[in-house]
Amino acid sequence: MRKITKAIAAMMAVSMTVLSVAGCGSSSAEATTAAEATTAAAEADTKAEASEAEAPAAEADKTYKVALCLSGAANDMGWCQVAYEGLKILEDKYGCEIAYTENLTPDDIEAAYADYAANGYDVIIGHGYEFGDPAIEVAEQYPDAKFIVTEGEVSADNVASYVTKCEEGGYIMGMLAASMSKTGKVGYVGPIQGASLVKIMNGFEDGAKEVNPDIEVQTAWTGSFTDTALGKEAAQAMIDNGADVIGHCANESGTGCINAAKEAGVFATGDSYDQNDLAPETVLSSSVYHISHVVEVAFQSVLDGTYAGGIYQLGMKEDAVSIAPYHGLEGQIPDEVKSLIDERVAEIKAGTFEVPCDTKVR
Amino acid sequence: MMEQIFSVTFLTAFLAAAVRMAVPLAYAGLGETIAEKSGILNIGMEGVMLSGAFFSFAGAFLSGSMSVGLLCGIMGGVAVSMLHALLSVKLAKDQSVSGIAINIFILGVTSFLYKLLSSGDSYKQIVPMGKLRIPVLADIPLIGSALFEQDILAYVLYVLIFAVTWFYARTNLGLSAAAIGENPRAADAAGIPVHLYQYLAMVCNGILGGVGGAYLVLVQVGNFSDNMTSGRGYIALAAVILGRYTPLGMLGAAFLFGAANALQIRLQAIGVPLPPQALAMLPYLITLVALLGSIGKNHGPESLSRPYIRGAR
Repeated sequence: MRKITKAIAAMMAVSMTVLSVAGCGSSSAEATTAAEATTAAAEADTKAEASEAEAPAAEADKTYKVALCLSGAANDMGWCQVAYEGLKILEDKYGCEIAYTENLTPDDIEAAYADYAANGYDVIIGHGYEFGDPAIEVAEQYPDAKFIVTEGEVSADNVASYVTKCEEGGYIMGMLAASMSKTGKVGYVGPIQGASLVKIMNGFEDGAKEVNPDIEVQTAWTGSFTDTALGKEAAQAMIDNGADVIGHCANESGTGCINAAKEAGVFATGDSYDQNDLAPETVLSSSVYHISHVVEVAFQSVLDGTYAGGIYQLGMKEDAVSIAPYHGLEGQIPDEVKSLIDERVAEIKAGTFEVPCDTKVR
Repeated sequence: MMEQIFSVTFLTAFLAAAVRMAVPLAYAGLGETIAEKSGILNIGMEGVMLSGAFFSFAGAFLSGSMSVGLLCGIMGGVAVSMLHALLSVKLAKDQSVSGIAINIFILGVTSFLYKLLSSGDSYKQIVPMGKLRIPVLADIPLIGSALFEQDILAYVLYVLIFAVTWFYARTNLGLSAAAIGENPRAADAAGIPVHLYQYLAMVCNGILGGVGGAYLVLVQVGNFSDNMTSGRGYIALAAVILGRYTPLGMLGAAFLFGAANALQIRLQAIGVPLPPQALAMLPYLITLVALLGSIGKNHGPESLSRPYIRGAR
């Protein structure tokens, strides 16, 4: 009996390990043994030396190894999924060999980067501002790997940050929210305070104030990307205070906001994705970030040899940000509001209107 | 701003939010109280809740029925608790290690299973449970809507709290169930089947923890997301200690945490000029202050988290 129990315990332990590895959604990188890693790194060295001698065009048929590091799940229907889709484009369109790691906490990022770099990945993408500083640390030790950080604030010889002008989307959502508000109060919920999120919230506030200078913009930070219940509670608090349009940039925590708006019968604006299908009667429009496009643009710079360290800004003009259609709510939005929005979007695209990028918490 | 905080509408809405935030904590806390009274510390409560949340969502989504969802959530919770029971009762392993391992393990399992279920293509959600307003009582000013305009699971919780209090205070079985956590050797000598009772306590732990997690999905938000419990299982552990291992005390502590969380998010919304990080500390600050108040008094079961091995010295 004792033996059987032990056997069961052993089996459980094994299945735990297997499942937890699978659960982390890692790929070939982790399975690679240390020996392979060294050879891969050595190969990368020779390749790099070779490439210095030849013109970049000679490498056109080379298979690039691209890795993506994510802070959440690749199927989160938001921030992380869009980057993952970009990675899939690189695989399908450019024949890259891809790998990704999910659910990285800030203390794990360096290790994940170093793992990929040591395994000979040519391009390593960190998705989010928190991936910036670790990239600088690791990039120094692996000069042959090219690091790309989305929403980063850092640059080095082999670290390029690609910043999406998310504030442009936030601004338009703010204009839309203020135009649709009857009470003169709107709400906006953010997840964890970080520069790339603060600027969206500030953009929303600026946009709302442009339409109605007296509007009251209530804001709250849930302190979590995953706490859906608290996101809902935050939106509920704003609705109780009289807000009648709720915006968010809070990922899964933000879906709680849309739920609260739906139950209270007020409008909401979406973020990252066209979130209309979450609540077709509620979500007026969404600020859509084409991170997959940003990833592609960044990779193309590697491909055509123009890759260089620096901070690059991509917005509506570069097709990195757009506004989702109104779907079924088309009829409820007055024509003058629509034309106001269209006009502003056109101006941003043409470069005649600059949305202020304010990363300071207000 | 101050008059805004002390207005009746703000306080009424705030209290209702506090109760909403407290109910899942109280379910998990009640399950944990029962486990700890039997001498088993289940740090894996976060995992129990998360499992309950995921399986209740899967059940409700696939069957379209709330009761099936709740049942699946309960089974998901019980499965995790039984894993902990097997490790800590049968194999007499370190309960803290087992509990933490379970939390990390379940986070991976539920995220993985959700990925399979959602297959990444579209957003899945269910319609959350509606509210059940109790006439007359719900019209009491301030607390009426907070206590009596809730969902059915909240009402069940009120009954359970009193039932468990009565069970430990007034029944022989309850006395035996508490004795095994105090002095299992003496209890064994008195003919109480220690291990059997511990298993039963862990079943209750799983059921209640599972409901706590299911509550988030079935009542509060109507969808599942990775790590959606976001530390509520740990807060339930703190609520048990703060409530001095009694169901009523635990309920009070859970309400305190719920209220602190509801308050901080509401203060942000009305624009209190404090950094949100500082406000987010509020629930934990209250815990620390409350724990300071109970210095020197140990209310925990004597044999908590010590495995009982028959015949061992």
